[in-house]
Amino acid sequence: MPTRRLILQTGLATIAMPAVLRAQSLSGQITLMSYAGIFQDNYTKAVVEPFMAANPGVKVNYAPGGTSAQMVGSVRAQKADPQIDVVIMDVTTSSIGNLEGLFEKLTPAEFPVLEELAPEARAAGGEFGPAVTFDHLVLVYDTQNLKPAITKLADLWRPDLKGQIALSAPPNIQGLALTAMVEKMEGGDHRKSIDAAMKKLKELAPSINTFEPNPDGYSLILNGVVKVATGWNARSQLYGDQSGGKIGTLLPPEGSVFQINTINLTAGSKNRAAAAAFVKHALSQPAQKAFTERMFYAPTNAKAQIDAKALARTAAAPESRANMIPVDWNDILKVRDQWNNRWRREVISAAR
Amino acid sequence: MTGSRRLPLLLLPAGIFVLAVYVWPTLLLLRNAFNEVGPTGAMVEAWSLKTATETFADGFTIELTLNSLQLSLSATAIALALSYPLSLFLFRTDSRFRGLLAVIAILPMLISGVVRVFGWLAILGDRGLVNTLLQSLGLISAPIKLVFNWTGVTIGLAESIMPYMILALLAGFGQLDRTLEEASRSLGASPLRTFWRVTLPLSLPAIVLAAGLGFVLSMSAYITPKLLGGGRVFVLATEIFEQATTNTNWPVAAVLAIYTLGLLLLLLVVSNLLARGLKR
Repeated sequence: MPTRRLILQTGLATIAMPAVLRAQSLSGQITLMSYAGIFQDNYTKAVVEPFMAANPGVKVNYAPGGTSAQMVGSVRAQKADPQIDVVIMDVTTSSIGNLEGLFEKLTPAEFPVLEELAPEARAAGGEFGPAVTFDHLVLVYDTQNLKPAITKLADLWRPDLKGQIALSAPPNIQGLALTAMVEKMEGGDHRKSIDAAMKKLKELAPSINTFEPNPDGYSLILNGVVKVATGWNARSQLYGDQSGGKIGTLLPPEGSVFQINTINLTAGSKNRAAAAAFVKHALSQPAQKAFTERMFYAPTNAKAQIDAKALARTAAAPESRANMIPVDWNDILKVRDQWNNRWRREVISAAR
Repeated sequence: MTGSRRLPLLLLPAGIFVLAVYVWPTLLLLRNAFNEVGPTGAMVEAWSLKTATETFADGFTIELTLNSLQLSLSATAIALALSYPLSLFLFRTDSRFRGLLAVIAILPMLISGVVRVFGWLAILGDRGLVNTLLQSLGLISAPIKLVFNWTGVTIGLAESIMPYMILALLAGFGQLDRTLEEASRSLGASPLRTFWRVTLPLSLPAIVLAAGLGFVLSMSAYITPKLLGGGRVFVLATEIFEQATTNTNWPVAAVLAIYTLGLLLLLLVVSNLLARGLKR
């Protein structure tokens, strides 16, 4: 005779069975594509390895994919036979992938973690993969050899910095972000015009050592090639720690621009279940906390409890948020070629 | 089937290889040239000439072409001026170290292009060997800009094509008959006149061959303009890369790549015709 307890237990087991089976059936390999270098090292330690520990049947292969545009190019080339399951890349390129049908839409029903994300993180991907990290543009400088240190964006025009600046010109998104920042510094609004920024940047052109820092601005400062460069906050913070303080990070009081990385599930993934589980894990509170505290990317999961000291060094710090210039990257994409051409003809040509 | 009829079969493995790794990707590239890119950056599959028309209507494409031609011409001229005497020496010397010297001359070919470029950054940079030396001799007070501009790219490119040009010159010097030079000298011509009237004309086919090779290599060079140009040097190769990997604009990259390929083929044909004409 079935007791009430037995019926209840059987009922609960039936309800839970699909989830249990799903968890148990996660196996095989998935390929995660994202940035190389320190991003790969830290993301592997903070997010990938804990995921594999929790899902012993799944192996995550981290494939360094170069720039975001190169990553979307790889996924596009493999559209008929996807070899990459999850991609973390800049929102300007993931939105192209979304339009081309390269990535899946994610629903809150399947991905409840979406409900924990900050509204701007959800908005970044629309119905597709949401933001997984926030960052912002900063000025990076040599704390040992630059006296006095820079304290604002306008300091770039200081005469003693002639030949000592490395900045990434458009189409690199650092150059696009800088354009919006300089326009605001000059009292304008990039959504209306960038004339003021172009005029001011043309004055800066002779001070630029390189418009294409290789391998990056941080390395050029560490090697003594330049004293100031444009950079991203998270990397700059980490390089600052690793270099014993030689690299300094300045969030310009004139304002900065958010950079958003989204996490994207490739359409036609060969191991969709494991790939989806990884996306959920990457957006979860523990993974977001671990990566932010390790590399200073601001979390996108609003419920993640981040150490206050680490949070203060991210784009999520109140001081950083207050300084952000509202930039809609989808709008920037539409004027990117135009801005790029103006940089070439008005700014870079003035530096030759 | 006779032996001579079977001979073309020897081409089969290489032919299949070329089809798979060159012809097929080139056809895919051609296909991409007909696609379009929408205002949001997404690629739209199409059979249209819109991308090509817009690319060629853009004055920047002409500027890129002229930049590429100018850079290739300068680098080839410098490389030729340095390679010719060196190759002539290697061709003529009776030294027992001749083989070793030839290997040293072409040794840079064995080093990665990226490593070579970073070597030039160390030599030509503001705090590099050249500027440090000039400053320590009191010849300059502030560093001269030798990198991250056209100067640096021209120097680096000239050096990178030199080994190929030396090999081409050495191969082409086969027609250089020493007895003709001896005859010129025995008839009273000075060494300079002998060089000008005998050696140089006889080595012209080799010069054209080497210059053609150097020019084509310079036109397609990417690493040197990219890394030594500091974002100031815009040539066809760097623009193709930029469009494909930063702008995600494959159709424009494909149009420019096909255009560059056509230019290079044209240059090769002209160079070969010129070399043949001079041989006669």
